[in-house]
Amino acid sequence: MIILSVDDSAVIRKVIRNAVGVLGHDFLEAENGQVALQLLEKHHPEIKLVLLDWNMPVMDGIATLKAIKSHPQFSAIPVMMVTTEAEKGNIAMAIQAGASNYLMKPFAHEDLLMRIMQTLEP
Amino acid sequence: MSNATSIDSVLVNAISRATMDVLKTMANTDVQFNGVAAKPDYEGTGDISAIIGITGESGEGMIALSFSTNLASLIVSRLLGQSPETITGDDRCDGIGELVNMISGNAKVSLSQNSGTPYKLSLPTIILGAGHSVASRPKNNPYLLMTFEVEGMPFHLQLSFKYR
Repeated sequence: MIILSVDDSAVIRKVIRNAVGVLGHDFLEAENGQVALQLLEKHHPEIKLVLLDWNMPVMDGIATLKAIKSHPQFSAIPVMMVTTEAEKGNIAMAIQAGASNYLMKPFAHEDLLMRIMQTLEP
Repeated sequence: MSNATSIDSVLVNAISRATMDVLKTMANTDVQFNGVAAKPDYEGTGDISAIIGITGESGEGMIALSFSTNLASLIVSRLLGQSPETITGDDRCDGIGELVNMISGNAKVSLSQNSGTPYKLSLPTIILGAGHSVASRPKNNPYLLMTFEVEGMPFHLQLSFKYR
């Protein structure tokens, strides 16, 4: 089982990698949505969760989310937004586009793990 | 719509709370807020600054977060659970950029709620060097210089915002 973290901040990807390490899953990371879609093409049968930032260069989170949810092979993979984007309208847009969960930065490690568990075992 | 003065005080409160909350939650670091002063222009405080633009229908501005190299290394080391000596220049730049992103997210919500119009954030820009300047900064507009402290080491957040 692989967790894929998509965030333009290498530090945040490391923070997430450190936090989810206790779950014992393999970990992949991408710095934008375009790289994430390439990793999904290659590894999608093993990727069980995508953790997705919103504001990223090249391809942002909402475009990535829509691409995942409209792709026949990726659409069943749960996506959890992990972002500073706190506008109610944008949160609603992400949920309508198929996000399974939404975690606002800053986050405590415990909250990240709890949301991941909720998302993996609804 | 709220007037500029009341929005400024709401913004300063939102940003000071967000700064303390972000560093406590992500880096387990207690921050003391030492106050705010009005300045005529941007001041290049610190060795490393992360700058983010904020724009909306009712105004535009920038937020800059500035640290000494030592304090930036300490905070990023706590984010990553590593010792400060292992923190690279790339880690420092990336980590400080993410901190200003998280703090500015709160400012964006505060501005949107007060004006009733949406705001957008730019991606953060990092500037290195003591006494640096920002050529593309908002000009002819006052800056609010907020001073914070971590374990005796000061850092600053500068806010400039112009209402349309």
